Amino acid sequence: MEKIKINLNVNRLEYTLEVEPDERLLDTLRERLKLTGVKEGCSIGECGACTVILNGEAVNSCMVLTGQVDGSQVLTVEGLEVDSKLDPLQQAFIDHQAVQCGFCTPGMLMSAKALLDKNPHPNREEIKTAIEGNLCRCTGYEQIIEAIESVAGRKDCKE
Amino acid sequence: MMANLDFKATRSLQEALDFLDTNSEVKVIAGGTDVMVNLYKENYSYSGILLDISRIEELKEIRQEEGWIKIGPLVTHTMLLKNELLEDKFPVLTAAARTIGSTQVRNRGTIGGNINNASPAADLIPPLIALKAEVKLQSSSSERLMPLVDFIIGPYRTAIRESELITEIKIPLIKEKYYSNFQKIGRRKTLAIARINIAIVAIIDEHKVIRDIKIVPGSATPSPRAFNKLEEAVTGQEITGLNLEELGKLAGEEMVALTGERWSTPYKKPALSALVKRSLTAVIKEVEGDGENQN
Ligand SMILES: Cc1cc2nc3c(=O)[nH]c(=O)nc-3n(C[C@H](O)[C@H](O)[C@H](O)COP(=O)(O)OP(=O)(O)OC[C@H]3O[C@@H](n4cnc5c(N)ncnc54)[C@H](O)[C@@H]3O)c2cc1C
Ligand code: FES
Ligand code: FES
Repeated sequence: MEKIKINLNVNRLEYTLEVEPDERLLDTLRERLKLTGVKEGCSIGECGACTVILNGEAVNSCMVLTGQVDGSQVLTVEGLEVDSKLDPLQQAFIDHQAVQCGFCTPGMLMSAKALLDKNPHPNREEIKTAIEGNLCRCTGYEQIIEAIESVAGRKDCKE
Repeated sequence: MMANLDFKATRSLQEALDFLDTNSEVKVIAGGTDVMVNLYKENYSYSGILLDISRIEELKEIRQEEGWIKIGPLVTHTMLLKNELLEDKFPVLTAAARTIGSTQVRNRGTIGGNINNASPAADLIPPLIALKAEVKLQSSSSERLMPLVDFIIGPYRTAIRESELITEIKIPLIKEKYYSNFQKIGRRKTLAIARINIAIVAIIDEHKVIRDIKIVPGSATPSPRAFNKLEEAVTGQEITGLNLEELGKLAGEEMVALTGERWSTPYKKPALSALVKRSLTAVIKEVEGDGENQN
């Protein structure tokens, strides 16, 4: 069982790591890099709690082996805040009471972020599609959708 | 974790094929959305070598060549559903890709993985069979083409050899005007691993007569296949005059004739009937819409 040497850019920082053959991106982020905002729920791609943005796309980090993504860019919830300023999405989630227990929130934020990066003014259907792989047991989704809508409608939202 | 798992990543098709040729106990991983679930279920105790092909760029293309649309096996569901050429030529495939899993799953899962995993409920397989798709299989020393319907030999079983990769999925362009439809009933609303689905591809002439039709339900039979009796019953008929109730029943009967009575039959028979009616109705609507536009 040989280790694999890889380079990874996580939240704008470069890392060179030696990882296990069966190490998931989820494990690397949580255990090696201590980015525990990335949550493990179901471990099989169903809940979205482990969602991160990989090279611009929302993915379940429990379904990716770290060895597969040498040279990639990863953004986790920890990377949303820039210069200790919350991302507009984070602020909107707070303002719209879109967070209850908070377990789904990091994944939900990353799915929403991936959507807005590609499509700054999504309609409601597009928002629903973007978060359909993120389960929330608490909120019933309405506040979450409203929070994302509020950011999507903002004029200063980046193009 | 077990001490006997290894991992190899490559960005070169040739290197991947050579690797398969010279090593045994190799498990190919592409998007990993099926492989990772299996690894988890086996408590990561898989022994052997995982060969990651997900970064081989030359297997990620969609292009038109002569009479074919050629799709690389590493094209993801997201790439499929965003591709304009496909949406134009084979909207039934676009429609199926759109229903798969979730955004995250569509961003990683690939068409090659969907085919080789060969789940009876795989959503891309019925439309691909209905479109008469063929798969290209390559090893370091050989290359062969096979109709997809023959490639899938049973639930989770394909005709692939240990040394081979799927390197292309090709679909013949259809010269005549044709209609198509994809429907699916899932058990869960959000993440629906299809319990039952159906793809229809029909060549219908200007008199609304069905000249040729493929009707392929998924997860109704151990592996998706055309329902020939049903196809025969409608071929040569004017589509607007079909007795949908009868045809729905016929589909259920053909399923039972193919599979025998199973525990799932009481659910699947009416579900399949409903899907057959729903998909034919959608095609009829489209045909009638076209008729009105001409008048
Ligand atoms: C939460 C969830 C929801 C899902 N929902 C759906 C759904 O609604 N509908 C549906 O159809 N599927 C669904 N799936 C299944 C899955 O996403 C698809 O089957 C996917 O297309 C598999 O592609 P992959 O690249 O991830 O395959 P992998 O997991 O990488 O591989 C699957 C199999 O194919 C082999 N393989 C992959 N590429 C090649 C190649 N080029 N040549 C030879 N062998 C190859 C692998 O060795 C393996 O045996 C879901 C999965 C998850 C986790
Ligand atoms: S932990 Fe990855 S999707 Fe649930
Ligand atoms: S806030 Fe508790 S799961 Fe979403």
